[in-house]
Amino acid sequence: MPATTIPQTPSLSTYLKSLKHNDIETSIELFISLLKRRQIKNSRPCAIATTHLLLHVVAAERIRDASKLIQHVRDVGRRLVAAQPREMAVGNIVRRVLGVIREVAEEDQDAAGGTPLSPPTPLTPVPGETLQRPPLPTKMSEFSPLHGAAALPQDLLATAASSTQDWQSEDAAQRPLLPGSSTSYAGQPPSVTSLFSILQQPAGRSPFATPPTASQSPLIKPVPQTHDDEVKEKLDIKAEVINGIQELQDELDVVDTQIAESALDHIHSNEIILTHTSSQTVQRFLATAARKRKFTVVHAEAYPNDHEATHATIVNGGKKGSGEDEEGGDERWKPLTSMGITVILIPDSAVFALMSRINKVIMAPHTVLANGSLLAAAGAATIAQAAKHHRVPVVVLSGVYKLSPVYPFATDDLIEYGDPSKVVGFEEGEFMEKVDVVNPIYDWVDSELVDLYITNLGGCAPSFLYRIVADHYRVEDIDLSAK
Amino acid sequence: MAPKGKKGATKSNKAEEEHDEPLQAVVLADSFEQRFEPFTIEKPRCLLTLANTPLIEYTLEFLAGSGVEEVYLYSSNHTDQVEDYLNHSRWTQETSPFSLEIIRSTSTSIGDCMRDLDQKQLIKGDFICVYGDVVANISLEGALAMHKARREKNKNAIMTMVLREAGDYHRTKSQHMRRCFVIDAETQRCVHYEQVRPRDSPRLNIPEEVLKDHVEIDVREDLIDCGIDICTPDVLAQWSDSFDWKMPRRDFLHGVLQDYETFQRTIHAHVVSEGYAARVNNLRAYDAVSRDAVSRWTYPLVPDCNLLSDQTYHMSKGVVYKEESVMLARSSLVGKKTVLGKATSLGEGTVVNNSIIGRRCVIGKRVQMDGAYVWDDARIGDDSVINGAIIADGVSVGKKCHVKRGALLSYGVSVADGTTISENTRVTRRKRKRGYDSDDVVHGVTDPKVVGKGGEGFELELDMEEEDVLEALMAGIQHTDLTEDGDYSDFQYEDEEDMAQEHAHDMTSRSGSFGSVGSEESGETRRNAADFHHEASNSIFDSLQKGHDPDNIQLELKALRMSSNAGDSQVRRAVAVAFSKRIANLVEAGKSPKDAVAEAISPNQRLVRACVKAVEEQAEFMLFLQTDLVHRPQGSKTLLFASNTLATQDLVEAEGFEQWWEDERSSASEDLRAVRAETKQLVDVLVGDDDEEDEDDDDDED
Repeated sequence: MPATTIPQTPSLSTYLKSLKHNDIETSIELFISLLKRRQIKNSRPCAIATTHLLLHVVAAERIRDASKLIQHVRDVGRRLVAAQPREMAVGNIVRRVLGVIREVAEEDQDAAGGTPLSPPTPLTPVPGETLQRPPLPTKMSEFSPLHGAAALPQDLLATAASSTQDWQSEDAAQRPLLPGSSTSYAGQPPSVTSLFSILQQPAGRSPFATPPTASQSPLIKPVPQTHDDEVKEKLDIKAEVINGIQELQDELDVVDTQIAESALDHIHSNEIILTHTSSQTVQRFLATAARKRKFTVVHAEAYPNDHEATHATIVNGGKKGSGEDEEGGDERWKPLTSMGITVILIPDSAVFALMSRINKVIMAPHTVLANGSLLAAAGAATIAQAAKHHRVPVVVLSGVYKLSPVYPFATDDLIEYGDPSKVVGFEEGEFMEKVDVVNPIYDWVDSELVDLYITNLGGCAPSFLYRIVADHYRVEDIDLSAK
Repeated sequence: MAPKGKKGATKSNKAEEEHDEPLQAVVLADSFEQRFEPFTIEKPRCLLTLANTPLIEYTLEFLAGSGVEEVYLYSSNHTDQVEDYLNHSRWTQETSPFSLEIIRSTSTSIGDCMRDLDQKQLIKGDFICVYGDVVANISLEGALAMHKARREKNKNAIMTMVLREAGDYHRTKSQHMRRCFVIDAETQRCVHYEQVRPRDSPRLNIPEEVLKDHVEIDVREDLIDCGIDICTPDVLAQWSDSFDWKMPRRDFLHGVLQDYETFQRTIHAHVVSEGYAARVNNLRAYDAVSRDAVSRWTYPLVPDCNLLSDQTYHMSKGVVYKEESVMLARSSLVGKKTVLGKATSLGEGTVVNNSIIGRRCVIGKRVQMDGAYVWDDARIGDDSVINGAIIADGVSVGKKCHVKRGALLSYGVSVADGTTISENTRVTRRKRKRGYDSDDVVHGVTDPKVVGKGGEGFELELDMEEEDVLEALMAGIQHTDLTEDGDYSDFQYEDEEDMAQEHAHDMTSRSGSFGSVGSEESGETRRNAADFHHEASNSIFDSLQKGHDPDNIQLELKALRMSSNAGDSQVRRAVAVAFSKRIANLVEAGKSPKDAVAEAISPNQRLVRACVKAVEEQAEFMLFLQTDLVHRPQGSKTLLFASNTLATQDLVEAEGFEQWWEDERSSASEDLRAVRAETKQLVDVLVGDDDEEDEDDDDDED
């Protein structure tokens, strides 16, 4: 910034700074208005801001009662989601935090009751999503959470409230291990496991951030909604929850690195890779592969909403002006070209023509939905369709924080429409008078067009995403708008 | 670079803490004009809804988005409503991103506000000055940075105007008045500013020095002036120095540019080519900006962003925004670019296109709506057709009505079944009682011709228009511009600054013969003349109404005349108009013309006498009076009694009457002839008398 006196336009970085000296309610309102003004947008900044905000919310909370805390976080979450329902990362993080609180509460309860931590719930995967689909919602924020698809059947849950302990002790062996079963695609099960567990180690007894791999038992279990009576001081709930949220923040920090770990398993020498948008995750992924292998990247520019950032990424590497460079710790990296990789920039319209030569398509989504479909920058649907036509595998790189339990009933409603002046300049008075210009920011890509998701937990098939959803979100939290 | 210390130039001890200096903004919630009448009679302009959100929300949201920390809002009209609204809004809550202070003022122009602001010493550093009707999403960061950089180099760079580039023709740009900015291409300095009327010869009067001093200049007419100015405290000082400045462009900008040689103060332009910025300063702009908002040009300030916390808009395919619990009959058709507020219902077979409908409206069956703006709680009867009209809160339109383009139905108007509201009609239930204190809003008498039997409301005539027509009639040339405007624009509209300019323009081009306002005079004088007329006639009228002592009025008039360097003829005109206004006012209040004349003129003889001495002057005075009375109710009667009074009081002599009667301008048009018909007899008598007394008169005059 050239002159310090210039008051900055509010953005993620100013928001994070302001969190320190503002009171909670102001911070919430500020975040809501920033979301509304789209001054914080895209999944990662939203996720980061949400975790920071919730951290403050929890920290400021006096009540030691978990259920009240849950209620409070839920209320805040509902407001945030209502502000910009299309930034689903916000809702995702809120649900994750709620999960953390519930977990701590249960642990607390268990500790109080002297019951040892039992293995988690038996999971009987219910692939048919038709089972208990909730009534059709009337507005998007209520999008039907994946009740049916979630691994916990409703009735089971209902009974769970009364008889938790009974079936908690059932055999947990049915639970499939996450990464292992997910390799429908040619790649190896990724080696994230080791790294991931290292990260999880210091977290000690509350590994909430991401449900971990085989070694640690995921602490997912249904829980009675009422905890009123068990506020025992055995565990400092607040401290534990804060720990959990900090782990979430750590997860957001390392998510790209974790995804990039598996790069070598997916990118082979002399391949031609097509990618789209200026996604940091994809760049990191390609850069990791480029250290060992030589390949060619064809980069579609994602006109008109992201092309400038795309150009900047190709030429300068790193990140410019997308609100993510303020994270501080993130080192800037060199462009792919400086690593000896040929990068070809093409307009979006040329995708189909070039697709026959492409070996693999790598995309970064805006949000991944529970059924394996995704929302990504406009142009993604074209690319996915073209890839399908030419039988080119489509790999999607997505952190778990982008994975939403929302089920896409009306895909039109999920798409945000932006400012048409990016397509046709506002100066073109006569044109804009007579022509309706629309500028959709996202495309919806159906799950059948995607071959593999690579998350920070490893790779998995679109059809398997429901499991990750089930592992990360509590059924109770899926519909945030419900009381 | 090295921003430290730049502020030290303006404020002494600020240098150290400048980082903490909050960015301040001044919102001028008042427009000091009547372009949104009849709506602004009952509600301030900034609370009118655009796409179902009050205008002020857009402005404040824009300021919040620019990182403003302190906002001062100037309000002088309907301040209670503004205060009430803001005190219940999120802007005055603890959580508001900036501190908002509402300043009640009695200002009558923007200049007054600025001077008041200067006195109050609220502004510490550079500030942003906007109107309460700005809709913008542009980022000011660039403009602020440029402004600071320039300030650092030269502390005389006192202001930066933010202008949005728009093409040759643009719906959001004012087509009524082309604003030409002459900008130095290199330094972005605005070196000349002029307003050109459309269909006028596009000739700019660029001073010679400008051409001499600048190697390269851009003459730009393609800019939307969205009224966003970044000012330094020095700007306020300038306003204070020139107490007669009123308009930020016409007076301030012009004045500063003219004084460049002396003071070296510069004003810069920041032309943005991205983002959206516009002012809703007339009905045409209202229409344009509404459409821009609905088709998302103002993104993210679009309906489904739900600026207000209780809004629940949701966009669906075809750019249709619906709030919760909208009821649509199965066979109703909601076309593209439509906004439907909460709990609004559409009946069977209703078709709605390009329209914005507020909350709780009940639209009947088989209604056709295209381009309509319906605010909250309106009812539209079955089989009605509504095209491009604004229908305010609580209006009820009967069955089988036809509301045509550009019609405005104000609050609570009710239109009876089967009525057609013709184009560009302004229907209202209330009107502003003539007076300078805008508070006295009264119920008008229902006019069944307009709203049908059983309806409620009458057509509102605008003063502005009246005076416009007056100008035209005076010159005996049909003034066509306004009507043409009405043809090609959806709504009739006027532009505050443009309006005054227009008067001035008319006066010079058509009434050069009327004394001092010669056509060869500079634009500055012309404007002064128009200003003077407005101010003088209003203030006299005001004083007459309050029954002030004529000597005081005379004194005030004199001061005003000195300050704006107005000619005698202008004074006469102002006095004539004021009297005619006053009489009309009394007549409307139920007095007979005779009594009204007696009440208005008799105690104030001295005032008239002071401005009509010679015979020619008397004739001219009569002419002014006549032309003004053309539009007043019972004008001819009033003229008769006025003439009688003037004659008996010896204010106007017989020669004066004779000269007036014979002057071709007094019988130039049908209307003029009609108005003076009744006075004929009186004049005949007077002139007859006169012949006999001729000798005496001559003696007297010697």
